[in-house]
Amino acid sequence: MTEPVIRTKGLTRSFSMGQTIVRALRGIDLTIERGEYVAIMGPSGSGKSTLMNLIGCLDTPTEGEYELNGTSVAKLPEHELARIRNKDIGFVFQSFNLLARATALRNVELPLIYGGIKPRDRKERAAVALREVDLEDRMDHRPNQLSGGQMQRVSIARALVTRPALLLADEPTGNLDSTTSKEIMALFQRLSEAGNTIIVVTHEREIADHAQRIVTIRDGVVASDGPNTVATTETSAT
Amino acid sequence: MNVIEATRLAVESIWANRLRSFLTLLGVIIGIASIVSTAAVIQGLNKYVEEKLSDLGQGVFTVQRFGIITNRQDFLDAIRRNRRLRREDAHAIRDRCSSAKTVAWQVRSTADLKRRGNELLGVEVSGVTPAILEIEPFDVADGRILLPFEDERAVPVAFIGNDVAEQLFAGVDPIGKELRIKGTPVRVVGVAEKKGAFMGFSQDNFVKIPYSLHRKLYGTTRSLRISVQTADSSNMDYTMDEVRAVLRARHHLRPGQEDDFDILTSEGINNLWKSMTQTIFSIALFVVGISLVVGGVVIMNIMLVSVIERTREIGVRKAVGARQRDIVQQFLIEAVLLSCIGGAIGIAIAFGAAELLATYTPLPAQFPAWAPWVAFLVCTSIGVFFGIHPAKRAARLDPIEALRTE
Ligand SMILES: Nc1ncnc2c1ncn2[C@@H]1O[C@H](COP(=O)(O)OP(=O)(O)O)[C@@H](O)[C@H]1O
Ligand SMILES: [Mg+2]
Repeated sequence: MTEPVIRTKGLTRSFSMGQTIVRALRGIDLTIERGEYVAIMGPSGSGKSTLMNLIGCLDTPTEGEYELNGTSVAKLPEHELARIRNKDIGFVFQSFNLLARATALRNVELPLIYGGIKPRDRKERAAVALREVDLEDRMDHRPNQLSGGQMQRVSIARALVTRPALLLADEPTGNLDSTTSKEIMALFQRLSEAGNTIIVVTHEREIADHAQRIVTIRDGVVASDGPNTVATTETSAT
Repeated sequence: MNVIEATRLAVESIWANRLRSFLTLLGVIIGIASIVSTAAVIQGLNKYVEEKLSDLGQGVFTVQRFGIITNRQDFLDAIRRNRRLRREDAHAIRDRCSSAKTVAWQVRSTADLKRRGNELLGVEVSGVTPAILEIEPFDVADGRILLPFEDERAVPVAFIGNDVAEQLFAGVDPIGKELRIKGTPVRVVGVAEKKGAFMGFSQDNFVKIPYSLHRKLYGTTRSLRISVQTADSSNMDYTMDEVRAVLRARHHLRPGQEDDFDILTSEGINNLWKSMTQTIFSIALFVVGISLVVGGVVIMNIMLVSVIERTREIGVRKAVGARQRDIVQQFLIEAVLLSCIGGAIGIAIAFGAAELLATYTPLPAQFPAWAPWVAFLVCTSIGVFFGIHPAKRAARLDPIEALRTE
């Protein structure tokens, strides 16, 4: 096998809140191979989002090692991290985080703008990404003209448009009803089968069951890590 | 992200808040509009003064009792010191200054003119030696100018301005007709070309009569204004020295004593005028500078508000790969664009104001061609100077915290 997409060692993140120090992560060792579909579970406040932000290069660890595609990113300067966020990582948020004034197409174009892609290529690639999430007929709609599920699909298209090595989703169905959630999870399933490396944070068992591997976090450390038996049966059942 | 993209974003954002943007810009608009309007008026006046002075011709200077006096003390000193210039002074210059080609003189007073029950009040009546018309040429519309023998014999003739012709001789040809000055009938021999008004004052409201006639009518109490044209215009200083020497000798001035007369050149008048308008402009610049600084602070303030309002947007942009410099660029361009829009509106207003002033008021305003460029530079500087702080603040936002705000 080639080198892993992610390898962390003793990853630690503390927040100082005046006098007290909140230790959100206390040494996470995690390796994720190319093409894996991993669910991260754990109770609220256990450090899942903190871990995702570190993996997504939105934040830097207090201590520990983090290698992305074989290069250490823990101590990279700001503009390098920005480049990684742009090229190597697609991030899907619970609250979508779309630009309210921009159309779906324009929202999906956004990473390409910062990637320095020419306008014409940009439009084309954004349109392709929107087609992949079945939204080609909603390209000119603004977020407030879309349903929650559609907004989340736009944000998934935005995450995919740069063809990143890694797709990260922090509670992507947290703001969606159960039917829409199923649609979104089916989409992740499809993306995984197409070869994407995916990490999904969730606290719902049903959602996690789509993944091949489940990592549980408790109080900032990995509590359990192993293959998901349900997923294999489900995949073979469909 | 390139500049075009950032500009597009800035336009979108300004347009989305157009009323607020416009109100933000009032300071810059007013500042630019007022400074450019001031410049337009000054430029118009300068042009007028220059044209007027070039009428004087090359190598000409005048000698008069009082020069241009700009302060009270000088005025009091001059009144005490300077003596009336008399006909004998003029004759001495004419006879004894070898480098002077033409020497002419005139004296002014005002009079109420009468003709067949028509009356024209407060007309400038000057007594001139006909040679003055060689030095300060008048375009003749009709008839002729005064002749030397008419001065020698005090012939009652007059060369009149267009206003006088139109108002006293409405509908008739004034040439050969008579008008009355101080009860004396004077025959019109010529009418000058119309010159129009300057600053609301007509330049066509005059009568020129021979100096000797003026002397008969008004006596000798008035001081002369003596115009001297040098033979060699490149050597005016020499002629001025000659004139000075002659007058000082006539007035029995001791060495070291100040001149009791004043010599004016068109260059001197022009310099004085320029320094005056420069002072006015500097004051205007100072006042406007304050308004531009206020305008800039308002822009900075609104940009800071905008950064707070758009914290989440900034977070999103950073999350998908915007670098700090991309964010700085975006907000800086927005600030510069905002300020330049203000400048453009200000320029447009100033342009309109200059046209209106020139058309409907006596001020000869002329829109300066450099104004748009300077305004552009100034507004860009304001935008950069007052935009950099908000832009940096935006760029330094932590992406996670930015995304967490509502
Ligand atoms: N910016 C922050 N400042 C202070 N404490 C934080 C910050 N972010 C997270 N925490 C704390 O770290 C812990 C883990 O948070 P988080 O990763 O958001 O948990 P989860 O996503 O699993 O619910 C929590 O106790 C939270 O209060
Ligand atoms: Mg969380």
